Amino acid sequence: MMVLHGYAGKILWVDLSRMEVRGKDLDRDLVKLYLGGTGYAARILWDMLEARIDPLSPENLLIAATGPLTGTLCPSSGSVEFCFKSPLTGIFGETRAGGTFGPKLKFAGYDFIIVRGRSEKPVYLYIRDRSAELRDASHLWGKNVHETTDILLRDLDEPDASVACIGQAGENQVRFASIMVDYDRAAGRCGGGTVMGAKKLKAIVVDGHGEISAAKPDEFFEAALEAINAVKIRATKGMGKHGTLGGLVNLNESGALPTRNFKTCYFEEAEKVSGQTLSEKYLIKKRSCFGCPIGCGRYIQVPAGEYQTPPHEGAEYETVDMLGVQSMIGNLEAIIKAGYLCNIYGLDTISAGNVIAFAIEAYERGIISERDTNGMKLRWGDPEVTLTLIEKIVNKEGIGRLLAEGVKRASEKLGKGSEEFACHGKGLEIPAHDARGTTKSLAIQYAVGNPRGACHIEPIWAPMWDFSKVDMGLRKYGLPWPPPSRFEETGVRRGEGYKLLVFFGELAGILGVCRFPLQAAEEESLNLDRLSKLTTTLTGFDLKPQDLLRISERVYNLKRCFNVREGVDRRSDRLPKRVMEPIASGPTKGVRVENLDGMLDEFYDVMGWDRETGIPKKEKLIELGLNDVAEEIWRSR
Amino acid sequence: MSMIKSLVVIPDRCMGCHLCELACSQKHYGVMSIERSRIHVVRLHHQPVDAPIFCLQCGLCITSCPVNAIKRDPKTGAITVQEEKCIGCGNCVHVCPYGAVSLDPVTRKALICDLCGGDPACVKACPVDALKYLDVDLAAKYKRINFSRLQTVVK
Repeated sequence: MMVLHGYAGKILWVDLSRMEVRGKDLDRDLVKLYLGGTGYAARILWDMLEARIDPLSPENLLIAATGPLTGTLCPSSGSVEFCFKSPLTGIFGETRAGGTFGPKLKFAGYDFIIVRGRSEKPVYLYIRDRSAELRDASHLWGKNVHETTDILLRDLDEPDASVACIGQAGENQVRFASIMVDYDRAAGRCGGGTVMGAKKLKAIVVDGHGEISAAKPDEFFEAALEAINAVKIRATKGMGKHGTLGGLVNLNESGALPTRNFKTCYFEEAEKVSGQTLSEKYLIKKRSCFGCPIGCGRYIQVPAGEYQTPPHEGAEYETVDMLGVQSMIGNLEAIIKAGYLCNIYGLDTISAGNVIAFAIEAYERGIISERDTNGMKLRWGDPEVTLTLIEKIVNKEGIGRLLAEGVKRASEKLGKGSEEFACHGKGLEIPAHDARGTTKSLAIQYAVGNPRGACHIEPIWAPMWDFSKVDMGLRKYGLPWPPPSRFEETGVRRGEGYKLLVFFGELAGILGVCRFPLQAAEEESLNLDRLSKLTTTLTGFDLKPQDLLRISERVYNLKRCFNVREGVDRRSDRLPKRVMEPIASGPTKGVRVENLDGMLDEFYDVMGWDRETGIPKKEKLIELGLNDVAEEIWRSR
Repeated sequence: MSMIKSLVVIPDRCMGCHLCELACSQKHYGVMSIERSRIHVVRLHHQPVDAPIFCLQCGLCITSCPVNAIKRDPKTGAITVQEEKCIGCGNCVHVCPYGAVSLDPVTRKALICDLCGGDPACVKACPVDALKYLDVDLAAKYKRINFSRLQTVVK
């Protein structure tokens, strides 16, 4: 058989109900159509999952996906994407982690792991090169992420292996449990850890000693070195300098820092929780994921005092805003501690922070009482509230049992108007970017929520356009330029711009690299031209920039169809009242979402989606080669 | 005559990205593999350590080799392995005090840094200039700094 350059060439199938593992070849036809990563995984989920299955049932699949660029010399290639049907949203779930897991998986000889079924007893999957086996994990059940990782690496005598595992949150079926990789890299969103917990799969350990080849080795090497040299400037100038937290003060000054459960976008104490403060007081060293010249990871520690932590990687922007600023906490040590707890318990910091701010507001409004909280007063700006609620959520104690269901379900149970300030898109808690204060493109993003709900990853390109006014090299591929004011909604080619940004961003998940190197000015980013050159010389396929965008379009539409099959349509492309209403204070005071339907109309039009239903039109799907998908989606309509 | 150069690390800068490993295997074998690399990045998870470990060109391995497959290149001062002679016995791995020598998992021949004949690929790929290929006089200063750290009293 001919070598698939850039790929390991195999999928590891794991059936937990039968306790079987076996390797199968990658499907070359699917590789041509979807390339890999979340694209290939989306096709597997479309083909193999029945509609409307319970995400916590044995029928659900958990896919660990890499792309052709994963583990290569391409900058920031340390990616793994976990794909599944989400127990939090009931739609397509995908969540990514950096670290070394994805590269190690490819070096072990597999591009994907696909797990189905459910084990009776806790197990872990141990992959060493092309051998893989399921082993008893009873001794690990109940252990946190750091303990589990320590024990596995020690007992297996595998100091270089990568461990992806769940903590107590996943075991206890909190709906927003994360999968943690290499101790502190989080595949946090959509409840991937919840699916692992339901399957009684505590951990996956992988070590690989193999190699990845390029179709044109010398040209690929040259293209990769050129790209590394371009991206590396951001190690010192951009995100690498103060981490993802580095932009917090600027966002605050622009009125784009979600605060007080999205009531406002301005925080008086922003300086106290900034990336600069983190670097000065708590940073031990920078740590990058595999292959990354940027190194946004922060190896940090609160050395002493009430909020002391061991050294760990943390204090990401999303974590600091959601677990801290949203609850009006200006104490960075307390926020670091809260993030550390989420990491070791395997809890998504974004969803946790969102649901905690929601609970505080519900308490303030008398919808939750002291009887519900066992006497605890849920006050704004009180670290004890956050630290206590994290424990309660993880262990599903008291009010934690309700909050562990996520903000959508919690508000539906509470009622009394709490739905209006339960901030989610399709059940996924809204992250730390604002649909009013940052850019109106986020109103489209959070409302449409394709593929996974109100996600913090898809929108990171949207603000680059009209908030940061950086074109990322996309102008020549049709990004409207100059960009509109970020507050304008319709009649400014917003749908058109957002569409291209989304297709560009989707490529990171398909090709198996981090999103961050894509998100910068053309000369210092993994831009479309560089991605085209790298994938072409790596795989030997002829992949021009337009070809890559076409594959993205296919994948994005397939994921939308997956969601349509689960019941999504225009009626569910909505935003909660809170994130539409005027911002209460700060530089963007008074800004609101005025015409969501108008923005959706424009977006559906450029996408080739039916305006009335929000479903991709049959001819669009056929044009993308998704004939069978078109047939199934439109059969009963 | 131009001065000989040494490969040195400024360890504070390393972020543990592994790009040096991939560049090494790509340069020597045309594939990307962290195991077929002659440089290895060590991360200690519970300590602030990300360190590329590579051959310091001490030459202990030369005399350990039973078949005289290991020589020193007079031009670069680098250790070179004559692969056709190497029998994969592992003596050179055994004597290397730093774990900088290993056996190629594919060919079972000794993997020892040859400084890429005087143009190290790892240096080109390092995004943070943690790896440097410097004239010996400056290189020696960095080596001293690194060596002095071993004598730091840890409280």
